[in-house]
Amino acid sequence: MLEPVSAMTIQLGLAAVYSLARPGSAISGEAQAVQQVASNVVKSVETSRALFGRKGNAISELSALASECVHEGWDGEDARPIDPQAVSNAIAFLRALPDSLPLPEMAAEPDGAVSLDWIRSRNRLLSVSIGASDRLAFAWLDGSDRGHGVARFVGGVVPTRIAEGVIAIMDLRNAAVRAA
Amino acid sequence: MLPSGLPEVVADDEPLARFLTSRSQFNSLMVKPGAFMPSPKDGKTSVFRHGAKPQESLLEIARAHAVGERTLHGVAICTAQQVRASELNVVAQEPPPRHANITGWPVAANDPELTKAQQKERALLIAQHAVLIRVPK
Repeated sequence: MLEPVSAMTIQLGLAAVYSLARPGSAISGEAQAVQQVASNVVKSVETSRALFGRKGNAISELSALASECVHEGWDGEDARPIDPQAVSNAIAFLRALPDSLPLPEMAAEPDGAVSLDWIRSRNRLLSVSIGASDRLAFAWLDGSDRGHGVARFVGGVVPTRIAEGVIAIMDLRNAAVRAA
Repeated sequence: MLPSGLPEVVADDEPLARFLTSRSQFNSLMVKPGAFMPSPKDGKTSVFRHGAKPQESLLEIARAHAVGERTLHGVAICTAQQVRASELNVVAQEPPPRHANITGWPVAANDPELTKAQQKERALLIAQHAVLIRVPK
């Protein structure tokens, strides 16, 4: 019968794996194989922790932004409060963002949308608006080149045009980046 | 001449101030494009015909006519010429004194997202030149 595994049990298990993964005096083939497997497990756990923390922090930041701009006129004028559906869509977008891409900065917009901005410099940036619909408005500036577009965010997959835009603006083209 | 004493036509070299009430509207590098997006109510972006200095009078305008009870975190300064170079316009609109609107934002018929994307591109162009003044707590 399956039983719930406590966090303590997992921590103890991981501690054992960390211990096995440490470079030691393993000589036999089996010992070296165990050490290699343990090392891979540790790497995987650490990557997951880093990614979860990274996106978790971004989602917390988004929640704080939504709280800050919860009232009509948050800009001192006629701005609409951030739309809860926009926040929900933005969270889904952040979760769907390929792990190889940097996370955006976030801002509130006067129409209640959330702006996700990748800013490389003053004249190299990509800005995506996430509102209540599944259609995302975006615009970019890349030196003297500029443009805009609309892409649909469906099925939890970041639109290719946006992912490729981030890669281009943030100079990741030469890195081993794969858009989901 | 307007009640404020300013000319009715906003000259190209006039500085324009956009008050920022959220820290999310700027970062250490620049004012973000969202700060210049038009109001959903009237499709215009409200600005004041004032430069970075004197800062006391700039902050007084913010307190009296712009941010209300909100905390002022910063001010974005651009010129009318930079706005016009972004295929938009600046039109004086008093009262309140020194007030003007950035107008001419594009609208795509029956397509709010395309409208937004076109407006965002214009806002990016203004934002790239805007100077940020941080307001101390």
